[in-house]
Amino acid sequence: MARFVLNRALKAVLTVWIAITATFFLLRLLPGDPTTLMVEGDMTPEMRAALLKTYGLDRPLLEQYVSYLRELLHGNFGISFRQIQPVSDILLDRLPWTLLLAGVAFLLTIAVGIPIGVYAAAHRGRWPDRLLQGFGIAGHALFVPSVAMLLLVWLGARLGWFPIGGAIDPDTRGLAAYLSLAHHLVLPVASLVLVQLGPYALTLRTNLIDVLGEDYIRAARARGLSGRRRLWKHGLRNAILPALTLMGLQLGTLVGGAVLTETVFAYPGVGRLIYEAVGQRDYPVLQGAFIMLAITVVVANALTDLLYAVLNPRIRL
Amino acid sequence: MSAPLVTEAEAAATAPATEPAVGTRSAWRTFFRQPSGLLAAAVLVVMVLLAVFAPLIADEPGGTSPDVLRSPSGGHLFGTDDLGQDIFAQVVWGTRTSLLIGVAASLIAIVLGTAIGLASAYFRRVDAVGTVVTDVMLALPTLPLMIMLAAIVNPSVWTLTVIIGVFAWPEVARLIRSQGLVVSAMPYIDGARVLGASGWRIVTREILPAVVPLIVVSVLLTASRAVISEAGLSFLGLGDPDAWSWGRILLNAQRSGVVAIAWWQTLFPSLAILLLVLAATVAGMRFNDIRDPRRNGG
Repeated sequence: MARFVLNRALKAVLTVWIAITATFFLLRLLPGDPTTLMVEGDMTPEMRAALLKTYGLDRPLLEQYVSYLRELLHGNFGISFRQIQPVSDILLDRLPWTLLLAGVAFLLTIAVGIPIGVYAAAHRGRWPDRLLQGFGIAGHALFVPSVAMLLLVWLGARLGWFPIGGAIDPDTRGLAAYLSLAHHLVLPVASLVLVQLGPYALTLRTNLIDVLGEDYIRAARARGLSGRRRLWKHGLRNAILPALTLMGLQLGTLVGGAVLTETVFAYPGVGRLIYEAVGQRDYPVLQGAFIMLAITVVVANALTDLLYAVLNPRIRL
Repeated sequence: MSAPLVTEAEAAATAPATEPAVGTRSAWRTFFRQPSGLLAAAVLVVMVLLAVFAPLIADEPGGTSPDVLRSPSGGHLFGTDDLGQDIFAQVVWGTRTSLLIGVAASLIAIVLGTAIGLASAYFRRVDAVGTVVTDVMLALPTLPLMIMLAAIVNPSVWTLTVIIGVFAWPEVARLIRSQGLVVSAMPYIDGARVLGASGWRIVTREILPAVVPLIVVSVLLTASRAVISEAGLSFLGLGDPDAWSWGRILLNAQRSGVVAIAWWQTLFPSLAILLLVLAATVAGMRFNDIRDPRRNGG
């Protein structure tokens, strides 16, 4: 167990390190001097000096890189140009919202996707299956902001069922605050789930059909187990683990979708922050946001893998 | 967008034919036999025509007019925006940008992905590095990465193409590598090696032709992902400010706060994205059916 966890953790650290290193050098290879990018005219000379000192931009590239890594390890992501406060503070303010949004969407996609996939596999070739195939292919063509705007206009603005922006009503306390939180979460989560669900359930259905062709399912049939029992007890149990892994692989896409959804609904997460930072060309924030999201995705992916190992009886830890 | 349409296992399971299993003519017949293939091809052809002949179909949108926020009518098929510009013209001109970036970025990704995938499939040493890099790239959230880079270089059609293309190759590399591995293990590759063919020759002359059908499928699927990426970047304000794009129309609707009133300003560009990506995806799948003779039932 310890060895497996250590290996997986090492892989995660390696991935994040490569991401950070590649970003660092890429940004310096691109046209434009990093000093002009990082220091803007409307800062005081003291701020400018502090920034230059923080980044050590006068030193050789390799030395800069080492100190950049050291600062990151200490949680220093630099200073935002526009908000004149540490990027790490801004990011930590916003990150919980993105984790909430993406986390709920992640769990809901799995919770809804599995029954749909199983049902389609059980009715292979008949209309529920055909419907899923259509929906699964169409899912690849759905553009997150389109879906989000449709929900916003229809269920939010026209019918008034859900709030059209923000994450919580600031005047609520206690239970009412939680209800308000959930109420604001419905449309952003629905936008993400609608886009992810079809392709996810379709892949699950295909995996399940493969599983249903395996020997132990045939053995179960020979023992006289009913079709429904074979499907739910034997088939699903073996399809759930790949379903988990599959969702783990979608995390990058899910986070990308969250950036777009948050933008539409003015949801105060890292995604909306990115949209604001793009408008203001606030590069330290953009770089910090990417690193933060990369760490989030990599950690979540590692956790998914660990859960897989814990749940899978074939892997002895 | 999400789960791959052509999975690695599927690509590997398909025994690549050294000679096409079906002749070119009957391959096309297979493609068009299902109405979805025909429909997808028709949509793609119409989109290409719209892009090429955009200046003949509609004037380039610009300036302001007093006809603000008109709903769709005979004069303005898709209505007008808050500046009084014609949405139909914006969508038509946007087709150019979306198609151009989709195709060009897809070609970049295909060239990189095929080279890396084939090299990984044949050369063990390349594989060690290639697989790690591919896995890392696939594990990272691509959109925030592309946003960061696009914000730093001044966005233009060409910089966006390069950025999208450079980050779209890992999926291609993984697909090509898994089929390349199957081909590398085939007896005729050993034969070529025994005859003294160089590694370069084996990869380019023996393995590459065997994966060409898969490359055709990849071009379509990668292009559809590139179109979505471009729309996403433009929607976040990172599009080429001098070129119309579907993402930019949506951004304008979002910025001017007319989303709730002017449904036409979000509906038509959204439909355009949906149609183009769906057509490219379906066309890719039909090509995949041709590639795999077991599926096309004769």
